[in-house]
Amino acid sequence: MEDSVPMSAIVTLSDVKKDYPLGKLTVRALKGIDLTISTGEFTTIAGPSGSGKTTLLNLVGCVDVATEGVVTVAGQETGKLSDRELTKLRLHKLGFIFQSFNLIPVLDMFQNVEFPLLLQGGMTKAERHKRVRDIVDRVGLTDQLRQRPNELSGGQRQRVAIARALVTKPQIVLADEPTANLDSATGSSIIDLMKEMNEQDQTTFIFSTHDPHVMERAGRIVKLVDGLVVAG
Amino acid sequence: MGILFQIAVRNLIAAKRRSAMLGSALAAVTLLLVVLLSLSQGITDNMIRSATALSSGHVNVAGFFKMSATQSAPIVSDAPRIREIVKENVPGAVHVNARHRGWGKLVSESGSLQAGFNGIVLAEEPLFSEVVQLAKESEYKEGGRDEVIGDLSGLSQPGSVLIFASQAKRLEVGVGDALTITTETLRGNRNTTDVTVVAIGRDMGFLSNWSVFLPRETILDLYGLKPETTGSVQIFLEDEAQSEATMAHLRGVLEAEGFILMEHQAVPFWAKFENVNNEDWTGQKLDLTTWEDEVSYLTWVVRGLDTISFFLIAILVFIIAVGIMNTMVISVRERTREIGTLRAVGMPRVKVLWMILIEALVLGAVASSVGALAGAALCLGIDAAAVEVPSDAVRVILLSDTLHLVVVPRQIATAIVVFTAITGLASLVPAFRASRLQPITAMQSI
Repeated sequence: MEDSVPMSAIVTLSDVKKDYPLGKLTVRALKGIDLTISTGEFTTIAGPSGSGKTTLLNLVGCVDVATEGVVTVAGQETGKLSDRELTKLRLHKLGFIFQSFNLIPVLDMFQNVEFPLLLQGGMTKAERHKRVRDIVDRVGLTDQLRQRPNELSGGQRQRVAIARALVTKPQIVLADEPTANLDSATGSSIIDLMKEMNEQDQTTFIFSTHDPHVMERAGRIVKLVDGLVVAG
Repeated sequence: MGILFQIAVRNLIAAKRRSAMLGSALAAVTLLLVVLLSLSQGITDNMIRSATALSSGHVNVAGFFKMSATQSAPIVSDAPRIREIVKENVPGAVHVNARHRGWGKLVSESGSLQAGFNGIVLAEEPLFSEVVQLAKESEYKEGGRDEVIGDLSGLSQPGSVLIFASQAKRLEVGVGDALTITTETLRGNRNTTDVTVVAIGRDMGFLSNWSVFLPRETILDLYGLKPETTGSVQIFLEDEAQSEATMAHLRGVLEAEGFILMEHQAVPFWAKFENVNNEDWTGQKLDLTTWEDEVSYLTWVVRGLDTISFFLIAILVFIIAVGIMNTMVISVRERTREIGTLRAVGMPRVKVLWMILIEALVLGAVASSVGALAGAALCLGIDAAAVEVPSDAVRVILLSDTLHLVVVPRQIATAIVVFTAITGLASLVPAFRASRLQPITAMQSI
């Protein structure tokens, strides 16, 4: 495990609780999380299934809101934001890497990476294309620019997802088990790539995993058990 | 918007079976609408052609002359002056003629029928010669030759008559046969004259069932009328759409010239006799009408067809709209994860809504364009083939013995726009639902 460099807080959770209705019952997925993540950290959220990893990432990713407590992301208290403001926050400050890649199947690789920039607007076509080519070059997929997701391997798809997450130069990248659908060699190369991006751009990475080999590459490990932080 | 369009088009292509099925249904309904509209326009076209050839100008200056309070005749007593006024005041007129009107019985050796008489000067009637086509002998006579007998020019000779094929069948006469005309003069005496059939025209629907054409002199003799009289001064315009405006203008001019005008009634001249005979005046009153007034009793055909078309299309559109809505709901459900991903990476709700709407609009525009153009091609083909209408009843309704369809580009464009808009409207609910999807739906694995 590597030492984390103390920097300013980019994510804070204060006594965060999250309930989900389950039929007539209510299940408490998070039971009072206090957590601070600093800019530039390469943090993994670890824990067994049902420990609340995904719920925690959902709250930090502004795709869900806490039942109680305060979640602050990039200086903004997410519980006080409207849907439009949350969408804007996700678009400009966050990047997502999904376990199942979640690329848009009808767009080619280049268009998938370019898509968030099109949503953001404000760039010329030339600027946009340069940004896409640069990031595609960094993830090593220059030769697959016009291939559709179904023409790429799992590892290549996840590289596209990383490129898509990073193309907007977000402050935080969230990834839920990004290596779960990949073989160990490919998974390892994906973590290497994420680590490289983290070190070069000082982008904060928060990702969940079960894999001990992946865990040991993280700068910080936050362990969750039954909706509570038990270590990290 | 460009990327949303690309996503929409590619999603349609990706779901090609579903797109093809929905598109085919939409194209078929558009095709049907175009065919029905073209048929309706064809009937209207027939109506204008047959009305303006057989019984009316685009604008008519006719009138009634009452010898006593209870007795009237469809006569204009000073036709030359009216023609002069029309020539001076209607610059859009391409042609002006005058026709006498009458009513009586045509008698042959084996039958008789009632008919409206039109007294014409053939040399003054270029449209009549152009529109009225002569029938082959086989069309009105069993075992007749498959060729046209007779000649329209014979109508310039006194004592001649042109009748139509269905009349020739009923009277069992052919070209060269004699007919006797009996009628009542303006003074109430019966008068009779013998005429020879010089030509037999092809039926032109309802109007040709009771119209026969005689030289003007024959009508003058038959009714004992002065040469300066006529039944109606008929004005043919360059633009028939100007009929109403021209009539209104002429009314003002004729009143200023001292003529007394009847109030405008949008009915043919023969439907006015009862009212005129009940009014307490004598002498001359002019009556101005348009071609639409003169065939107003026939507009039920177009109205009826349009009403049936409207309900038929409305039902089909409803079914299609439900189909589109269901299909789009399924499409949105299948793409929940994709839409959730788009929302998660920062796509605003309104763009999600547009993405689904664009998909529906593209499908609607392509399918309705294909359907409309195929419908237009089909209509043009049917019209060019001059398909014979076998049933007499249908001929009466269609006002023609062949299927006549008129494709109007504006109607094609309207059909495309309307069906595209309907597709968009039907997709509003699924598009709205898609836009309300939470990004967390894509995060089941994050």
